[in-house]
Amino acid sequence: MTSFSTKEPTTDSSRRQFLKATGIGTGGLMMTIALPGCATLKNGGISQAGNIEQWDANAWLRIDSDNSIHFVLDRVEMGQGTYTGMTSLLAEELEVDPAAIEVSFAGVDSVYRNTIYGIQITGGSTSVASSWQIVREAGAATRMMLTKAAANTWGIKESECRAENGAVINNASSHKFYQQKITFGQLATIAATYSVPSDIPLKDKADFKVIGKYNKRLDAIQKVMGTADYGIDTDLPGMKYAVFSRAGRWDSQVKSFDDSKVKNMPGVEQVFAIDKPNAVGVAIVANSYWQARQAQKALHVEWHKSELNEVNDASIFKQYKKDLAESRGKNVRSEGDFEQAFEDAKLTISAEYEMPFLAHATLEPQNCTAWAKEEGLEVWAPTQSPDMAQVAAAKATDYSLSDITVHTTFLGGGFGRRINQDFVAEAAAISEVSGQPIKLIWSREEDTQRDWYRPSSYHKLSASIDKDGRISAWNHRMAGSGVFDYFVGDAAPAQYSFAPKFMYGLLESAGKIGEGIIAPADGSIFEGAEALPYDFDNINVDYKKSDSGILVGNWRSVGYSHNGFIVETFIEKLARSPQVKSHNKDSYQFRYDLLNKHPRAQAVLKLAAQKAHWGSPLPGCSQGISIHKSFGTWVAQIADVKIENQQIKVKRIVCVVDCGQVVNPNIVVA
Amino acid sequence: MIKLTVNGIEHSLDVTADTPLLWVVRDYLNLKGSKFGCGAGLCGACTMHLNGSPIRTCITPIGSVAGQAITTIEGLGNADSLSSVQQAWVEHSVPQCGYCQSGQIMAATALLANNANPSDQDIDNAMSGNICRCGTYPRIKAAIHSVANKDATQRSELFTNIMEAK
Repeated sequence: MTSFSTKEPTTDSSRRQFLKATGIGTGGLMMTIALPGCATLKNGGISQAGNIEQWDANAWLRIDSDNSIHFVLDRVEMGQGTYTGMTSLLAEELEVDPAAIEVSFAGVDSVYRNTIYGIQITGGSTSVASSWQIVREAGAATRMMLTKAAANTWGIKESECRAENGAVINNASSHKFYQQKITFGQLATIAATYSVPSDIPLKDKADFKVIGKYNKRLDAIQKVMGTADYGIDTDLPGMKYAVFSRAGRWDSQVKSFDDSKVKNMPGVEQVFAIDKPNAVGVAIVANSYWQARQAQKALHVEWHKSELNEVNDASIFKQYKKDLAESRGKNVRSEGDFEQAFEDAKLTISAEYEMPFLAHATLEPQNCTAWAKEEGLEVWAPTQSPDMAQVAAAKATDYSLSDITVHTTFLGGGFGRRINQDFVAEAAAISEVSGQPIKLIWSREEDTQRDWYRPSSYHKLSASIDKDGRISAWNHRMAGSGVFDYFVGDAAPAQYSFAPKFMYGLLESAGKIGEGIIAPADGSIFEGAEALPYDFDNINVDYKKSDSGILVGNWRSVGYSHNGFIVETFIEKLARSPQVKSHNKDSYQFRYDLLNKHPRAQAVLKLAAQKAHWGSPLPGCSQGISIHKSFGTWVAQIADVKIENQQIKVKRIVCVVDCGQVVNPNIVVA
Repeated sequence: MIKLTVNGIEHSLDVTADTPLLWVVRDYLNLKGSKFGCGAGLCGACTMHLNGSPIRTCITPIGSVAGQAITTIEGLGNADSLSSVQQAWVEHSVPQCGYCQSGQIMAATALLANNANPSDQDIDNAMSGNICRCGTYPRIKAAIHSVANKDATQRSELFTNIMEAK
């Protein structure tokens, strides 16, 4: 995910006044959370008291009189474990078994925005970090109110009650109902009449029963039974299936198409061209996916010539190098005087790195189901950003945001691919033209050809070695596309959702210009490089933005994915260089000593060396070591590797992780 | 009309013979547990059993399996009684995104039916065609071993179930 790294999660106590409890018509309690200053969408705003139908659009937590507990997960589950982790946070404070909570996925609502990014997005390893406080507070406040309801029922003090396993227990030893219990469901209706406490103390770490201990995955059973609903499993009455032919280059428009051989093929209902933002091509709508896909083979489309430059890997890297040679770009880290250090250097050691484009290859190909009706547009999508999906659908149709409902499903992998919403734009546009509910499914080939790839990037690293053999300066310069430009068009209107549609173009431009000012800075190329942890007197890191014209997007671990490799490979080169004399240490000690300002890093590295028996590799193996910090987590790895039959075989990897407070240990472990 | 038995239930289907079994099962029989991953028989997400053996259904024309017995993930177990393999998958928290896992479970179930105590190499050989993008392979291996290591009674029970499915 993208690396907007400038803002800390909002966890201040002023949030608490926005918790709101309401009763529900059939008996029970609903806890909602509203944030100040956010626009109210159709699906958004404060919940409708007493209207049970409304709850799933905007509630956070609901307890019904039948003792069922419902939690609306405001982050998507794509394998990373939010379904279990976030539910565990709630369960901890509420005092229930996490498995007793029924989880559903949130629709679009400003309430659910990621407090780090300002839009409703799942990525950047932020879910637990951004919701750690607010979800726990919702659970704790609810438990306090339920406890108060029980205390009032028994006529005892709240301190004489104990919430446990979905019930409140009478703890007043002299009371006639001592040790009796009332379930949360029985208490919910009374509790809903109380106001939310102003002071919501959270549990002390030492008292955690779930956090750091709970080891199950709550979504495992439905996933082993095949009943978990992914986007591709969406089924609607009268639903048709669509495939969509796209141009080789993303800017090409449809010149003409010949559907004479397509129209009479079995099951084919409609063939039409679409020219909308992020949805340009020719759609075939048929009775089944297979019929649509077969018909596509007979479709011939003429495309207008792309206005983009013709490029290939060689020309793109040539461009990066040229741009980097001509301009320093943006300086993202500067310490000491690296230029002087290089001037004074006895020797310079350099290396160049060319990092390739990467496709995300989510195992579930891109897909989206859309139903354009007179009263509004409904979208079912495996998306990492429901509010951006809403914007993408609005831009591709005549519907406005307030007419569009987004249903989120399980995701068969995300890795950042599903932050770009082209599959939603296409499905929405196809359904609107078709006048029917349609499910659009991309083929694996289409998914690979039209990805928003991890940008390729070029890196040049140099270290200066002084007369004593010491490393006096580190200089890391890089060039490549920025991903921000490729999603701000949907992200900016999602953030300013009160803006009318005709302003979207303006918002996109403003977002691009305002990157780093009105929008967080895009660190996706340089993060992990600018945070170089090694202690050198002179450090310089530059990033020159150089656009290749290839669609790019966020990807798993973002900048850390390439910079972890680059920084660690170059530091290894230095560690092994005979010219770096004064160090004269092995690869472990070399790093350890240079990490003297990062005790957490040193501890992680040291433990890895111990556990992997650093220096005593497995028989026939060599050992490699590395350490990197991404999204606040330090990771050190030691790999035992050998060559067998001319192939590199990894025999063992010892991985030590310091991610701070663990919620579910079994999800952290590989 | 093409006849097909899926999870013990016989169906007559009005589809062309070239329609892949996967899409028949997903879109006509509305059994959505088997997944579409590649359409080329390369990832294993669509794995079902044909007469007890694992096949890649995204490239299996229904005409080629007409009249035969198909088992899908929905035919293995249910919430009240998961199959041994499904149970092991839950106990080892195997699924992450979970999209490949019904295919993985079908492949593992077939492996264990033919080889009650597979070695690591046997598992690699039998499972290497099932891709997991989340990288759950070590847990898949551990889960398969745990089923193999269950006591003989349970193992024969598993056998019986699978042979019955055949």
